[in-house]
Amino acid sequence: MNEFVERLVDLRWPSAVKPAYDVVIIGGGGHGISTAYYLATRHGITNVAVLEKSYIGSGNSGRNTTIIRANYGIPEAVRFYQRSVDLYESLEAETGRDVMHHTKGLLWIAHSEAGVRQERARAEVNTAFGARTEYVSPRQIQEICPQLDMTGQGQWPIYGASYHPAGASARHDRVVWAYAEGAMRLGVDIHQHTSVTGLQKSGDRIVGVETTAGPISAGIVLSAVGGHVTAIAAMAGVRLPIRTHQLQAFVTNRYAHTFAPIVASSGLGVYASQTAKGEMLIGAEIDRAPAYAYDAGHQFIRSCAFRSIALLPFLRDLKLLRQWTGVCDMSTDYSPVMGFTGAPGFLVTTGWGTWGFKAIPVGGEQMAALIATGRTPELIAPFSLDRFANDRTMADRGSAGTH
Amino acid sequence: MSKESVLAHLWQQQGDPTRGGSVCAAGDCQSCLATIDGIAYTRMCRTPWRDGMHVEPHPHGDQLPALESRGNRAATIARTMHCDVVVIGQGSAGLAAAAEARALGRDVVTLDTGDGQDAIGIYPGPLVVARTDAGMWHLYPRIEIVVATGAAEIQPVVPGNDLRGLVTARAAESLSAAGIDLGRIVAVGTPPREVACTVAVGALVRFEASATDASRVGAVIARDDRGVEQRHVCDTVSLGLGLAPRDALLRMARGTNVHGVGDVLRAPDLPPCPTAGIVCACLGVTVDDLRSVHARGFHELELVKRATLAGTGPCQGAACVPHVRAFLAAQGAALQPPFTARPLTRQITLGEVAAGAHHVATPRTALDAEHRALGAQMERLGGWWRPWHYGDVDAEYHAVRTAVSLCDVSTLGKMQVSGPGAVALLEHLYPVPIVSLKPGRSRYVLLLDERGYVIDDGMVCRDGETRFTLTFTSGGSTFAELWIRDWAESLNADVRIMNQTTSLGAINVTGPRATKLLALAGVTTPPAFLHHDTLDVAGICCRVFRLSFTGEVSYELHHAAADSVVLWRRLMELGRDLGIRPHGLEALMKLRLEKGHVIVGQDTDFDSTPRRLNHEWAVRLEKPAFVGRHAVIRTNAIPLDRQLCGFEMDGIAPAEGATIWHRDAFAGYITSATWSPTMRRSVMLGWLHLSNGELPTIITIDGRPARRVATPFYDPEGARARA
Repeated sequence: MNEFVERLVDLRWPSAVKPAYDVVIIGGGGHGISTAYYLATRHGITNVAVLEKSYIGSGNSGRNTTIIRANYGIPEAVRFYQRSVDLYESLEAETGRDVMHHTKGLLWIAHSEAGVRQERARAEVNTAFGARTEYVSPRQIQEICPQLDMTGQGQWPIYGASYHPAGASARHDRVVWAYAEGAMRLGVDIHQHTSVTGLQKSGDRIVGVETTAGPISAGIVLSAVGGHVTAIAAMAGVRLPIRTHQLQAFVTNRYAHTFAPIVASSGLGVYASQTAKGEMLIGAEIDRAPAYAYDAGHQFIRSCAFRSIALLPFLRDLKLLRQWTGVCDMSTDYSPVMGFTGAPGFLVTTGWGTWGFKAIPVGGEQMAALIATGRTPELIAPFSLDRFANDRTMADRGSAGTH
Repeated sequence: MSKESVLAHLWQQQGDPTRGGSVCAAGDCQSCLATIDGIAYTRMCRTPWRDGMHVEPHPHGDQLPALESRGNRAATIARTMHCDVVVIGQGSAGLAAAAEARALGRDVVTLDTGDGQDAIGIYPGPLVVARTDAGMWHLYPRIEIVVATGAAEIQPVVPGNDLRGLVTARAAESLSAAGIDLGRIVAVGTPPREVACTVAVGALVRFEASATDASRVGAVIARDDRGVEQRHVCDTVSLGLGLAPRDALLRMARGTNVHGVGDVLRAPDLPPCPTAGIVCACLGVTVDDLRSVHARGFHELELVKRATLAGTGPCQGAACVPHVRAFLAAQGAALQPPFTARPLTRQITLGEVAAGAHHVATPRTALDAEHRALGAQMERLGGWWRPWHYGDVDAEYHAVRTAVSLCDVSTLGKMQVSGPGAVALLEHLYPVPIVSLKPGRSRYVLLLDERGYVIDDGMVCRDGETRFTLTFTSGGSTFAELWIRDWAESLNADVRIMNQTTSLGAINVTGPRATKLLALAGVTTPPAFLHHDTLDVAGICCRVFRLSFTGEVSYELHHAAADSVVLWRRLMELGRDLGIRPHGLEALMKLRLEKGHVIVGQDTDFDSTPRRLNHEWAVRLEKPAFVGRHAVIRTNAIPLDRQLCGFEMDGIAPAEGATIWHRDAFAGYITSATWSPTMRRSVMLGWLHLSNGELPTIITIDGRPARRVATPFYDPEGARARA
């Protein structure tokens, strides 16, 4: 048997949808399922349903570029993502499953004096809040990643970089499945191919959901959907400061594992890493125009291939395997939106932009704590929806837009 | 192929060059992959043979090709073509479709897979991207796309299907036609046409290795009509197991005018449920693996794909999907549709994908060559190449503070807004009164968005009753144009808007001797502070704006970009005895920071309100209406949380980004920092959090004591700029 299959989870699906649950989570992606997992494992709340309109992990959880990092630009984000980096490091021990977690180190490259300034600033803020990031010289960069063209094909010389040793990756599907297995083992029901078509209200309060499998009553409804969160929130009468944009990526065929780190360049707008399978995985920035579609674009792949070759010339002769598109829910301050919504009984975890995968463990842990205690944990208090009304937004210019 | 393929050539010369597994010789499977002229994962069957070609066997099993690019390779050429109809595939159906379209007088481009022209994807546009031996083709059909890609042959999934000597029926035909001796051929299923063979009647059971070569097939076992296994000794097995349409292009082209003809429209033959053997040769997935994941709850095709990785290799599921579907159907599920079709349907290199792409060139000012000749280190900043320094930042700084200096500020956004609606439009856009600004006068302005956040800053200069020159930051000018045009349209303003950013050059003449230099250039009555005038400067017609970013007397000379070099050279020449030298951005950053001037984008973030920036003086809420007014009023009623403040401390400047601490609590971070040669201490701007409703005064930066102080640090009364 294939080694890849041998270490796989065991998913025990529920037989039927029950008429009522304590908690109904809309969206069977990483955030929805990890929230269910932490409700069950940390708070003993197991009468939970996760409703997924397709198969689990079919949305952005299975379309992202699997990068884990905490090198954000504002203290609140650094603390939050560092907690996720830590939870990811212990996820295999926690679930007993191989999620192919590898700590690789992440280089964020500067091609100009302005870029140097930005990467130095990143290192300062990260270090102050518990995420290790140091500024490294071109000589150190070459040691970390000898494949880089330090001249950027004569166009994009490499001046320096911030280096984040905790930068890591994990197999996205496996993260979702490990949480799903753990949650279902404790009695959580994950219903695939079950779409939410409406919300049930009693006065102002959201008391359940209408689904393609019939109505379900719920003590709490959490929207953990990606891509159409504004539509779900609108059912609860909640407006969200969210726009949805496409983000594309591509992989090459499999090659020998010789590309160790994750490399990102804001100047060129690309980042690259090698997957556990051996593919080179390359991503870029979000498309400027809002869209929900999963169409793949040619302009994207042509330009992105060109820019990534400028950074890593060996890519030129690699064969491209597949390109795909995910959608990113971007909040106006480029930070997540988690917790209470003003509609009693209805919670959201959204605004996951380009950083949803890396926050799956901490997002689930914190949302579960919020649901179980009815209080917003300190770590996610800065990311409440009411920050937009209260002039307490969490702008993070340095982190906007990429991986 | 019309030309001899690498596969046929090598087979002819040295015998079967494949590594095992059934060979289709039609670009669908992965059995003939090789590293050809340094490029791994190249199909021998799709590559025309050339003398001198270097073909290496492809590593397989746990071995993977090296992550490398060897030697130099000519850049792939890209051609963009417009036509009426693209016909993909030139089999009989494709030929007929092309002939039919031509008969209607249509301009048709055909892609003949057999001639090395592979469509790799259909994208919105519609755009058909194809790889050809002559480079990449980007085809834009006006009327329609016809997909005539035919069908692929179904591969065998039985024990022994990784042996060499297994070929599909069509491969048997094409290899035989190429003159290759396949030895004793036994055909299972539909036999090859015009190829001598023995037919093994019944269902395929397994392949057995040859006694003399364990890697090659020696016999095929088929179960005959009576249920008895018959052993057929052979050198080669021809497999006619059915067809699956090559419909990925058809399925990915949703919403475009595309239709299929011929075999691509056929329903896929469903092979029998596999019971043993390799299902996905690309990733080495076996039938046991399928059983294992199915027992673990992976019941649908997409989840089985993700769990086993079947279908994620170079053939993108062409070989395995029919069998995985058959397997899942046999477990009681409804027959599931194949994977979502996405580009690329045929593999190409990143170099080929990138063909025709080019760097988005960073613009240069008209003075670019002057800067380089003066030894400048050029840097990308704010979307332009700009001089960072000319080799001696201290000397550049002191030239500004004590003599006279030039700075190329051509990159500033420059826009002219004129017309009867100009005043009303600008009143709406800016948070300060415009109507009271007299012709010939200028004022500093913030640009706010509807949420009351600062999105840019610059100057408004009134040229006449209904004519204004606006300036913006270098990085903000493109957005500013969109912003202003959008508002002009929304308000139906009767204005003309002209973006002069690239047509006008701008040189800042700054320093205590700036007025003297202008006098030498023939300007006898220069404009007063915050005034402007049109004047002849050293023989060049300039709009002269008196303002100051450096803190010294400054004249910003806007002129036709074509005159930039002459003006620059004349001023440099005239200023020689005044101690003139140009300054770059590094010196400018010091100069402006000593004056406490904010740089939008560096010192601000997405959510910087005027109050947070300590710029409430630049917003007049008594104005009845302007963009962002409601938001500013709303947020002003909320207690302030942080403010951009000035700081100073002894010793060298901390890194920008350094954190600020107050009584062991985080209190903010530095956005700009520099050692001030004039003040003999470090001066900074940064975000400071209020503590108990107040801004702390004594703080720690970089582990050192520091003080919050009022800005400007240098010449707080502004006497020097007004001198």
